[in-house]
Amino acid sequence: MLTPKLKKAITDNPKKLADLIDLVNLPTTLREFMGQSQTSRLGCFKRVWSYIKENNLQACPSVTLAMYSAILWTKDPNNKNIVCCDEKLKGILLGKPRVDLAELPTLMKLHFPKKQKS
Amino acid sequence: MGKIPQAFRTSQLPTSQFLKNKQSPSTPPQKPYFLTPKNPKKTQQKINNRPEKVKSLTPLINFTSPNLSDAKTQFKSLISTQKNTPFDTRFCNSVLQSYSCVSSFQDSILLLNYMVKIHPEFLPDRHTYHVLLLQSCKSTDDDSLSSVHDALNLMANNGFSPNKVTTDIAVRALCSSGREEHAVELVKELSSKDSPPDTYTYNFLIRCLCRNRSVSSMNNFIKDMREGFGIKPDLVTYTIMIDNVCNGKNLREATRLLEVLSEEGIKPDAYVYNTIMKGYCMLNLGSEALGVYNKMQEEGVKPDLVTFNTLVYGLSKSGKVKEAKKFLRIMAETGNFPDAVTYTSLMNGVCRQGDALGALALLEEMEARGCTPNDCTYSTLLHGLCKAKLLDKAIELYEIMKKGDMKLDAGSYGTFLRTLCRNGRVADAYEVFEYAVESKSLSDVSAYTTLEGTLKWLMKAREQGLAV
Repeated sequence: MLTPKLKKAITDNPKKLADLIDLVNLPTTLREFMGQSQTSRLGCFKRVWSYIKENNLQACPSVTLAMYSAILWTKDPNNKNIVCCDEKLKGILLGKPRVDLAELPTLMKLHFPKKQKS
Repeated sequence: MGKIPQAFRTSQLPTSQFLKNKQSPSTPPQKPYFLTPKNPKKTQQKINNRPEKVKSLTPLINFTSPNLSDAKTQFKSLISTQKNTPFDTRFCNSVLQSYSCVSSFQDSILLLNYMVKIHPEFLPDRHTYHVLLLQSCKSTDDDSLSSVHDALNLMANNGFSPNKVTTDIAVRALCSSGREEHAVELVKELSSKDSPPDTYTYNFLIRCLCRNRSVSSMNNFIKDMREGFGIKPDLVTYTIMIDNVCNGKNLREATRLLEVLSEEGIKPDAYVYNTIMKGYCMLNLGSEALGVYNKMQEEGVKPDLVTFNTLVYGLSKSGKVKEAKKFLRIMAETGNFPDAVTYTSLMNGVCRQGDALGALALLEEMEARGCTPNDCTYSTLLHGLCKAKLLDKAIELYEIMKKGDMKLDAGSYGTFLRTLCRNGRVADAYEVFEYAVESKSLSDVSAYTTLEGTLKWLMKAREQGLAV
């Protein structure tokens, strides 16, 4: 049910697909994080996700919980859906100390602005 | 296979004879190209027709460059250094074949001439010319049949008039290089020269035409062959045609073809009926599929496992689960035991009715009967459980799948992600994404696109206060 739809979306919209897998020159902030100067949006996303897992950044209950628990959707300090950014991650995610996993793709996308028609 | 052991290379034995005797019974029949497994007879026949060609030896020369003079030098040095080995025709053919893989057609002819000149024992046979013919058919940068004609003329001038093997080789090579029009032209031409295609070649071409070209081109070909050379379509041809129209969802035409079939005096077999039944199933017409089954019974055509699987699939898909279940029993009675496909189709039907637990029960039943579920079975169940909002069970099932390195299908993957996100388990959704990529269930891109889409949807739902 999703496959034909997805297939259609991809074949209909080759540009969208290209945005995802084309190698692009990274901005300085990302370059430091990735340790390479070129990557695709998909590759970058995967790298960030594995970084989060490797460094155990999902919902560490320590930092200033009280401050954020109010604005967060969930009161569970062990909520795995929240990423507590370390300094490195903060650098690429708008300096946010906490990021919801659900908004991660949107935040990542900010580093990959749409190409202007030339 | 085929590599000459070191011991034989220097032996005084008549190697070729020895190898031939030894190999022919033990060699597993190597598949000639592009055979669909549907026609086991065909494989047999082809092997009888051209055993030598199929069993080509790995040559002592492996050509890497298309340079003609290099190839000549290599061949010459081979002949002069290894005097003991008899360089028989078969061996020379394999040398030529190896060279033809890298060279141009003209160069191959020149090499052949050179080989005959410096190695007079080499008497080119039919297979030698077939190597050249194959090469001329495979070149794609050719918009006429001129080099194919060259090859055929060369053959004829050396006393080998084309026969049906020639036709078959040429047609298959042409079709595989996307030159169907040329194949049609060549078949007509060869038919007028007394080497008409046999039924396998004919049907192969028909299949290629309806797969890659228009139906009208196929019909024209059938008409021309019937009127010009008296070659009529047979049961297999009709099955191909019916399959083609069924895939295009044109069941009326399929029914018409079935009538034409009986007018021609050909009795349809289970394959034809299965194909038509598949057509109905694709359109969700369960009762029509059942009608086909009843017709088979009337005509005395014995249904096989495929018939039943198609029927169970069609009935489940169109919501007639009860009837589908009934067929499980009938299947066992007729000796066609339900397999993973049968159960998966049935589970699909049960899940569509929202009874995911019933589908789980079927899983137990099938395992109890010694039928191993496959990836597709699990994916279907996962999908059903998610749809029925039984997330815990779905996760449990997913863990089993993960342990068994099973692949998720794209539909279940999407549904599972959405269910996880809806229940506020975004992190788990990320893990599933990772597994889908790792297990190569989906391409990175489609896995990510689905994840991104799902998350976007989640954010939107949150904004509207619909989700947590």
